[in-house]
Amino acid sequence: MTMMSDFSKPFQPMNNADYRLHARGWLGANLPAHMRMDSTDWRAPTLEESRLWEAAMYRAGLAGMTWPTEYGGHGLTLREHLVVNKEIGAISMPESVGSIGKELAGPIIMAAGTEQQKRAFLPRILSMDELWCQGFSEPDAGSDLARLRTRAVPCEGGWRINGQKIWTSGASKADYCLLLTRTGTIEDRHKGMLMFAVPMSTPGIRVVPIKSIDGKVSFAEVFFDDVVVPDDARLGAPDEGWDAAIRVLSIERATNRMYRPWRFETELRQLVRGLKSDPELALLLQDPSVQDRIGQIAGQIDALKGFVEGTVEQLMNGASIGARGSLSKLYWSECHQAFAGLALDLVGKVTPQSSALAQRTRDHFTTAYLFARAETIYAGTTEVQLDIIAQRILRLPKDLQK
Amino acid sequence: MSNEDHDLVPAELAEAAIPAILEAEGKPARAAAAILAEAGLTGVCASEDDGGMALGLPFALAIAEEAGAKQLRFPLLDQILLAQAFAGQDIASRIAAGEAIGLIGWEGANGVLLRLMTDIECDVVLVPTENGADLIARSELAAIPAPVLDPDQPQVWLDISGAERIGSLDAGQMAALRRAGEALYGSFATGAAVNALAACCEYLAARVQFGRPLSSKQAVRHHLSRMKLLIEMSRAALARSLRADELGQGRDGRPAFAGAMTNAIWSLEKAIHLHGGMGFTSEVPLHRSLRDIRKIDMALGGGRTGRQVAHDFIEAA
Repeated sequence: MTMMSDFSKPFQPMNNADYRLHARGWLGANLPAHMRMDSTDWRAPTLEESRLWEAAMYRAGLAGMTWPTEYGGHGLTLREHLVVNKEIGAISMPESVGSIGKELAGPIIMAAGTEQQKRAFLPRILSMDELWCQGFSEPDAGSDLARLRTRAVPCEGGWRINGQKIWTSGASKADYCLLLTRTGTIEDRHKGMLMFAVPMSTPGIRVVPIKSIDGKVSFAEVFFDDVVVPDDARLGAPDEGWDAAIRVLSIERATNRMYRPWRFETELRQLVRGLKSDPELALLLQDPSVQDRIGQIAGQIDALKGFVEGTVEQLMNGASIGARGSLSKLYWSECHQAFAGLALDLVGKVTPQSSALAQRTRDHFTTAYLFARAETIYAGTTEVQLDIIAQRILRLPKDLQK
Repeated sequence: MSNEDHDLVPAELAEAAIPAILEAEGKPARAAAAILAEAGLTGVCASEDDGGMALGLPFALAIAEEAGAKQLRFPLLDQILLAQAFAGQDIASRIAAGEAIGLIGWEGANGVLLRLMTDIECDVVLVPTENGADLIARSELAAIPAPVLDPDQPQVWLDISGAERIGSLDAGQMAALRRAGEALYGSFATGAAVNALAACCEYLAARVQFGRPLSSKQAVRHHLSRMKLLIEMSRAALARSLRADELGQGRDGRPAFAGAMTNAIWSLEKAIHLHGGMGFTSEVPLHRSLRDIRKIDMALGGGRTGRQVAHDFIEAA
């Protein structure tokens, strides 16, 4: 894979209009044809190709926008982050393989880590030299993390960890695990939570991949059997790291994958173009019921764009984000899942005689439909988000008011 | 005068508008117009030369939401739009001052009959034409009421065959007025949904079944959460529709309007359902908002607008 241009650090700041043009131009010029999901040249990139691509994006100023320069970031604001994300969404590129590091582990390390940890981990996350996975969920503790059972006990040389994690995305390729454990008993609920940065090469860690309904093996069970880590793998004191993580997560929920509404629009365009590429399939787009749905989806995309832009402005003005992230996660996941259903209906009409682009469109949206089943489950199910809105935004009482 | 010229922000102006909106509601049209004009609301977007406040549409958007939330049935939004659109003309200053009242017939006339959302005592009516719109005098025109949807404030078919034209808008001006109208009426409908949600939260927290408030039931809580979700998304889309795009160009506000209407209708219908049998009585005033937003949807065509958006997207893809 060759990149037409490469920006060695430090990345030069520029105004937002120029930044937008730079991002658009760089992505358009450098994304390889086989990594364009809307291209008939598409093939799934290897892990190495994805690492190289995202590392190049970082060097071009298209990742780490808001991270401090001393930790490898570009020292900019959420506004520049949004500018870049709009352009990332506008091109049909694969999902990041480093998102757990960039959107979860990195911000938590920044909030709870020691100076030494920040300098050791953060630049290597951005440069894609190290990939991370998230060890939070357990078989009996998904949305309700208070039921967490994986225990960390002080021992000679540091901490001894025993337990099991599940639904760990990217575990088999990760270099580190952002691991959530408890130091006490399950009765302690949210007390005694302790976070670690655990090298995945540590003896006693066993990764068992899980095959998902889209045919991929993107997540895994991870077993920790007498895993011993040094004390400097700890992120914050007991509770401290977890409290920081909760604060960070509320912001991250509202700001991560900010490109989603723009990517949603790109996908809608990809679907329409694929159908228009074949005269028989193009007739489907004249069906009033299909037009009703496309019009509805266009409105949903506009709403999501407005919501993301509003969130950025609120954060820039110093407002707290509260449970706002639940609104965007809920709306995006349900709208996108419904869109994937419409897309599958339409590409179901593609035949072996259809155009090559139509066939590529069918393949893409068939897989997308299957993957979309996960969208209302991961990162807090629909029901969890609805509960959060009821409790934290509407403050609906569960008991009689005195 | 622009937003930046003021210390005011839209939400603050809207809050300050609430007493006048409450005072105007239920009054005869002329009295309501005078009250709202005195508060500066009819002329909020009119030029200063016409006696207006010359504020941007985001201010009118916030006022429209409050008008919807307070179930104002006087056509304030038509006054705001007409006073802005006819800048520099006598009718603009008269509307801004509350001395004249205008209505907008959004649905294209067939040359004879024009449907209005309401038929109050008014002076002028804006009629869409192929080349823009004509402003006609209301007096002496025959009207056929259509009271089935809203007996208290019926829609009306106006016979405009003998109308006297007293002004006009060109196609560009009418398109701008329609864009602004879609945003304001979308916001009015969103305000109606805000009020419906508040009514539901209050009622369901107080209504007890099996020893606990209905608001403790997960199914009920989730319905209310969805109403909140749709309200916030409508607000976000409508506010964005008024902001320039990345290249400084105006945005297409039709998707935001169509979405806001769909969301508001769902919220009002759900709110009536969640009130149980009481929701079906005329005593609970949610039906007023439902009638209002259904009339808006008929007039401005939320469904038609969505299909047109889709058609344009497909063509451009």
